[in-house]
Amino acid sequence: MNQTMDVGTFIFASIRNKPGRNLATAFCFAFIAANIFSAQVLMAGSAAGVERGLTRMGADQLVVPIEYMASFPASGSGNTVAIVRVDPSPFRFNASIMDSLGKVTGISGMSPQLYVTTLDLPEFSSSPVEIFGIDPLRDFTIQPWLRQPLNKPLGPDEIIVGDGINGEISSGISLNNHVYTIVGRLDPTQSASDQTLFLRLDDAYTFATAGRIGFPPQPQISRGDINAVLVRDSAGEDPHSVETRIRRSLSSSSAPKSGAVIGQHFALDPVSREMQDIPAILNIISVLVVIAALPLIALIAAMVAQERQREIGLLKSMGAKKKDIFFIVIAESLVLAATGGIAGVGASFAALFLLNMLGILNSALLVSFQMPASPDIGMMAGLALFVVIAIGTLSSLWPAYRSSTMNPYDAIRNE
Amino acid sequence: MIKASGLTKAFRTHSTEVLAVDCAHVEVKPGEFVLILGRSGSGKSTFLGMLAGLIRPTTGSVRIEGIEISNLSEDNIAELRAKKIGFVFQFSGLIPTLTALENVMLPTLFYKNGPGSRISAVELLRKVGMSEREDAYPRTLSSGEMKRVAIARALINKPALLIADEPTGDLDVDTEYEIMELFSLLNKEGMTIIMVTHNPDLVKYATRTYGMHKGKIQQNIGTVSFRKDQRE
Repeated sequence: MNQTMDVGTFIFASIRNKPGRNLATAFCFAFIAANIFSAQVLMAGSAAGVERGLTRMGADQLVVPIEYMASFPASGSGNTVAIVRVDPSPFRFNASIMDSLGKVTGISGMSPQLYVTTLDLPEFSSSPVEIFGIDPLRDFTIQPWLRQPLNKPLGPDEIIVGDGINGEISSGISLNNHVYTIVGRLDPTQSASDQTLFLRLDDAYTFATAGRIGFPPQPQISRGDINAVLVRDSAGEDPHSVETRIRRSLSSSSAPKSGAVIGQHFALDPVSREMQDIPAILNIISVLVVIAALPLIALIAAMVAQERQREIGLLKSMGAKKKDIFFIVIAESLVLAATGGIAGVGASFAALFLLNMLGILNSALLVSFQMPASPDIGMMAGLALFVVIAIGTLSSLWPAYRSSTMNPYDAIRNE
Repeated sequence: MIKASGLTKAFRTHSTEVLAVDCAHVEVKPGEFVLILGRSGSGKSTFLGMLAGLIRPTTGSVRIEGIEISNLSEDNIAELRAKKIGFVFQFSGLIPTLTALENVMLPTLFYKNGPGSRISAVELLRKVGMSEREDAYPRTLSSGEMKRVAIARALINKPALLIADEPTGDLDVDTEYEIMELFSLLNKEGMTIIMVTHNPDLVKYATRTYGMHKGKIQQNIGTVSFRKDQRE
């Protein structure tokens, strides 16, 4: 056992020497790390919530059969309901209407929907259950509400159920002696969608044909029929302009004349801007904390170096070179920064996890907060640690330099 | 072993210049135990600091085993100190969070691949009569015990020269005796020692004694003449 003293033993011994002061310094680092980490998590979580909220905002325009307007006046101009699922209606038009709508500029998506029927399914819901057909590849209003995204597009004999429908994922629901497998469940929408089953349009046509479903005096549902086309405007488009263009397109000679457009007359933009302000505010707070902490920690480091004059003089009398002293001072600061950083990240993660579990984050941030995925959390923790270690290094540079260039004899005798 | 020639150290305070050491000449041969006697403020610690390369002289030169240290860089002097000089101060200078054994091993941090090791630290603690307390922390040691550990620490890298700056200054008579006996033993084993003190009673341990008065070295003084100096 011919070992010599190692620098780690000395550094940890030095840190133990002044537990109160070093705990306070580590706490400063912990505070900074917690601040940066929690700001990153809150920013990412609220951004995901904003993103998710925006994707769930539904359609900007609704194109329906002209008869629909007369039957559902509340859905006309001035409605304030985000269009996620069209109301059940016996009025249908042909899906070929989308060919002419596709030529309208300012439209980024079109999603056809077909109301099939309403059934009493007491084993699945205490309320009547509505059955809708959707095009899974075009849909942008139903699937964003899925509790867990589907691994693949909705397939044949597969259904998505509203939150109010009983039944486990992968279990079957029998409709008209045909079994459909539940592959997805929506989050609560607080709307009729909670009591709705969504099939592929093809399955909806098969189901309607088998059940001879029709709504007199309307004819039986046939392949190609739809009740509505939900339209999403391109980013930055004025909804009124798009509405006008759609109306013009529908009234042109080449388009089917049975369609009418309902514009959505409430603005989402100010809401989303407010939501997006929250991460920016968190970012600014983080930067301010770092700016405020840097001189504070530098001051503490300078005080520590001043206090340790005699010890540094002693080390020099033993043969410590400038770089040895410089390294020791920096390394001590790094150990405190890393320890404090890890503690801060750990504590803030625990706090955020708890607050999220209790739903406090949602109400405080006014958005649906979504905890980021583990790899993202890891990267944010890494970033927070990197910043505190950088602060630890920067703030101890000057004290380390001063200590390393200190006259050893003065240092020993001056204390 | 060590030779100081014309060593002068001037400190400038405001508009005046104070000569802490004034043209001192000292030569110490291997195996000597040299005592430098002087009252407080006589310049003896500054002189010692210059011998060890801790203080740069204003003029003059210091040669340690033939190496002129005045021309060396600070890091080279530090390396020389790590290899050739052991220090004992009036205060123990032990790190409170290191055990006695770890304190003794501390200088090995700055002399990689040197002769110092854990084994030699244990051996040195045994030599200074502290083998039973190697795991003790400084706060549990008496002043004398701390001083013994500090002496063991000064010897860990097997230096050619032991420099002691008032090592018994804060000790009671009995402990002072124990420590001086230890120095005497080390000297008999061949260790070269230079020690400064204000206590003329320690002259008996030295093989040669210098006096220091107002920055000037007085060659080979006796106890009587030193006491006469002090009265002046």
